[in-house]
Amino acid sequence: MRALVIDDSRAMRRIVSSILEGLGYETRPAGHGREALDVLEEGWVPDLACIDWNMPVMDGLQFVSAVRANPSWRSVTLMMVTTESEHGQIVRALAAGAHEYVIKPFTPDAFADKLSLLGLLPTASEVSA
Amino acid sequence: MTATIAELITVETVTDVAGEVWSAMVGADEVLVPDGGSAPAGTSAWVTVTGPWNGAVVLTCSPSATDDLTRAVLQLRPDEEPEAEDVDDVLRELANILGGNVKSLLPGPSVLGLPETGTPPPARPGSSTVAVSWRGHPIAITVQGATEAPELTTTEVPL
Repeated sequence: MRALVIDDSRAMRRIVSSILEGLGYETRPAGHGREALDVLEEGWVPDLACIDWNMPVMDGLQFVSAVRANPSWRSVTLMMVTTESEHGQIVRALAAGAHEYVIKPFTPDAFADKLSLLGLLPTASEVSA
Repeated sequence: MTATIAELITVETVTDVAGEVWSAMVGADEVLVPDGGSAPAGTSAWVTVTGPWNGAVVLTCSPSATDDLTRAVLQLRPDEEPEAEDVDDVLRELANILGGNVKSLLPGPSVLGLPETGTPPPARPGSSTVAVSWRGHPIAITVQGATEAPELTTTEVPL
């Protein structure tokens, strides 16, 4: 399974990628929403996108809206991974098309629990593939 | 006029937020020990909060803390020298997470700026500083009111 990790923090990209790779994902990083759209447009369409909210150039909410506007990316599960925890903002993200929401800070176990809820924990055969 | 931070959030609450962030980001067994001192001289990273309350959440680390903190967050080997860019990035992200969690406790809706490092914005009197020690390194988290509304450094539009 593939995951696109979108965060302007190199540290956070590294932490999230490390968790995902430990679960069996192949990951690619992007520093903001525009860079992530470039990855999708080149044809690397992931199963999961982990998206920070507050980023330069294109923020997470704009990225979610852009992905949802393109029917060929309908299969991508969008998970916000952000410090933005105001109820109104969470509602906005979900209304824009995000499937799940993880608030920083999180533990690897809490992150994996969210993926399990989404049915996105790779199976043994997917990990070995 | 913006309320003072002491009217909105207690030092104990900021201490609890910092402890949770440290435990999740730095390590489950990593603790912040209150030391009652003032903010150390060193590197600062901060995020601004713009809304009913205007100000910034500032993380200041002594020079001795920054490399160890970066190694811990990025899980580098003890002998691995972190790059300067990684040190800045880790401090910014910790400030970002601290700021986001403090913001969630303040009147909203409000907007978090992008994290920065360098010289923090000027504060009006009445800042709330939590001085702690981590592995013996002095660290401070300051929640400070702005002398004027912070300039937005985010792509996010306030509600």
